[in-house]
Amino acid sequence: MRYAHADVRKSFFLDMFTRDISLEDCILDLIDNSLDAFINREKLRISDLIFDGNLRSDRLINAKIDVSCSERQVKIVDNCGGIDRDRAQNEVFCFGHLPDETPGKLGAYGVGLKRALFKIGKKFSIVSRTPKEGFEVILNTEEWAAKEEWKIPITFIDGSSSVKTAGTSITITDLHEEVKMRMQEGGVPKRVFRDAASTYPFFLEKYADVSINDEPVPANPILIGQSKEITAGREQFEANGVKVTLVASLTPMSSKANTGEQAGWNILCNGRVVVRADKTNLTGWGLDLPAFHSKYTSFVGLALFESDDPLTLPWTTTKRNVNQESAVYIRAKALMVTLTRPILTMLNARYPSEPAEVAEIRDAVHNVKGVDFKELASKPSVGFSFAPPKKKIKRTARVVFDVALTDIEKIRRHLRRPALSPSEIGRFAFDHYVRTECGD
Amino acid sequence: MKQLSSTFKVQYDLRPAKQVERRMLLDAFQRLGEAGFQIRDYQYTGFGSVYFVDFILFHKMLGLHRLLSLEHEPILESRVRFNKPFSCVDIKMQPAAVEIPNLSRDLKHILWLDYDGILRKEFIADLKSALNILPAGSIVLITVDAEPPRAEDFVDINAEYSSGKEVLGPKHWKEYFEHHASEYLPLGQKTDSFTQSNLATVSIAILREAFKRSILYRRDVSLQPLFNFTYRDGHLMVTMGVMVAAPEDKRRLNGSTLTEASYFRANFDSPPFEIRVPRLTRKERVYMDFAMPCAAGWKPTDFELDDATIDAYREVYRFLPAFAELLL
Repeated sequence: MRYAHADVRKSFFLDMFTRDISLEDCILDLIDNSLDAFINREKLRISDLIFDGNLRSDRLINAKIDVSCSERQVKIVDNCGGIDRDRAQNEVFCFGHLPDETPGKLGAYGVGLKRALFKIGKKFSIVSRTPKEGFEVILNTEEWAAKEEWKIPITFIDGSSSVKTAGTSITITDLHEEVKMRMQEGGVPKRVFRDAASTYPFFLEKYADVSINDEPVPANPILIGQSKEITAGREQFEANGVKVTLVASLTPMSSKANTGEQAGWNILCNGRVVVRADKTNLTGWGLDLPAFHSKYTSFVGLALFESDDPLTLPWTTTKRNVNQESAVYIRAKALMVTLTRPILTMLNARYPSEPAEVAEIRDAVHNVKGVDFKELASKPSVGFSFAPPKKKIKRTARVVFDVALTDIEKIRRHLRRPALSPSEIGRFAFDHYVRTECGD
Repeated sequence: MKQLSSTFKVQYDLRPAKQVERRMLLDAFQRLGEAGFQIRDYQYTGFGSVYFVDFILFHKMLGLHRLLSLEHEPILESRVRFNKPFSCVDIKMQPAAVEIPNLSRDLKHILWLDYDGILRKEFIADLKSALNILPAGSIVLITVDAEPPRAEDFVDINAEYSSGKEVLGPKHWKEYFEHHASEYLPLGQKTDSFTQSNLATVSIAILREAFKRSILYRRDVSLQPLFNFTYRDGHLMVTMGVMVAAPEDKRRLNGSTLTEASYFRANFDSPPFEIRVPRLTRKERVYMDFAMPCAAGWKPTDFELDDATIDAYREVYRFLPAFAELLL
């Protein structure tokens, strides 16, 4: 038997594999790792994180993740518990996970850290301390690339001795030319800031304090609303160990969603936003749904995928898109379309010929208030519904007309009541007619 | 989207072929009932319009008592409510797209998307939605018009078309179906696949794909085709129906007498069951009924009829309504 070589080469990881992801997403990958360590330390369940924000225990230590980026270095420091030596030696620097390894909730593929390190600079150092033990790795990737072997030197250091200070610090220096240029061009920290705000709305503020160049990142929440007349559509199912929760409704009118920027479907995997405000074929627009249109700007949908095995989730390795071949996503997408259609039917009806009906729908859209996900997710599957308030049957009519002043005078004289106002005279005349001429 | 409800087009209760179709469905549901499907407890959702013919039939003959009629034409509301035949009929003034996600997941359903228009993307979306959410054992039917798209259908998709200047033909009909269902049509379809005589085949092919694809990713159930009718009371119409079947539903169905019925279609690759209603006088029918069911080759001796008419009659006589004038 003859064989062809099918070896792995370092250049693949250093030069190729780093091309399909943006610099900003690489930095988010590092934040993911910190959050993963935090989730692991606090034994958080993703469902609680999203649906039960109030269950937060007082003993929980918030994740603190500080990112700094400049043309000199990219650095991320967290207090999320650190990496133990065994994992550092046997897992963290390997490409991909072994079948029996339990990956984190956000780090699915075992590529994010390495890809970020290689993409950004030529040198890196990682210092990580658990309360018990610590390690340090300092590497020049160019020198490492020239060697045949795949090992990376590691030094053991002391632990942090306290849970509060245990954490990891990653510093990437000697940035690649193109990364340096992008940093010089400006805008990168701002984009990382904006992307982090919209990627981690369920972590930020409540569980995690993230800062970019010392600026604290606020959550950019996904708001979903209901009102007396409007009930959100909901759907849940489980497939292959992935729990899927779908919610679709209108945005609360007070939110900035009116611009349409926030309209569309949001897809989250284990609490991390993968796709934000999508209005494309990816979520059915222009396929089974009509193409997105400005009249749908108050539509908002959330598709939440959760699993203990993140490899079963429908995200791509960059976590910026959905794997469209994923069976669980295809099933979810069909249901997303089903949930969306009644809402579009309602929004389309804002432009019919009957003005009263339009006003009713406009009012209904206007009255939508934000609701808790917990409230939505705890209820059984149901379609979106819009029940306009029952029209009040009008039982009175207003009578207004002009009469000659001389006739008013005539009646005043006839009744011998010169002070009667014209409206009293009108009322008197009307009542008189009803009483004397109409019988019962 | 402007669609004139067929309420204004045809007198519903006087369409013999449609009535044969309804009675065949009734027959099928009776057979399913005998095989252990609790049809009586199914919810029937349809488009009852102002006639409610299907509702009356299914309530009286099957005992269905959860009945929901959808009506999207607001101007018909008072008439629809006035004509509601039984108190157990619920009426909702909204399109199927809005109601489908609200259908109870705890009940089994018979849902008949009985459209009177030519196939369009909204119909396919309704069908897919229903197949995606209805629980195992449910039956979904769809009816569409298989006549060529008319100027008013076509102008919807091609605003530049001005009727009168250009007569619509296969080229336009191809454009119409590509607009509404391109992803369900095979690659490289030629214009001559869209000739008038082929449009029912086109609609069936599109619906077959839509049926097949929508259920592919549900693990607990699979698609069990049941019906594929074509009939004509003026317009050529197509009806297709399936059961959303769990493995035990399939077993039960295969053990039922429905599989022996001439109109049963276990797959959509076999040709549709064409409901042909022969035009016979009352006297001829009474005479023929006396010989039914007849053996192949039987002929009446007192008058002449061609074989095709006799065959057609043999297929439908059990289901064929008799119309008569009543002085009420």
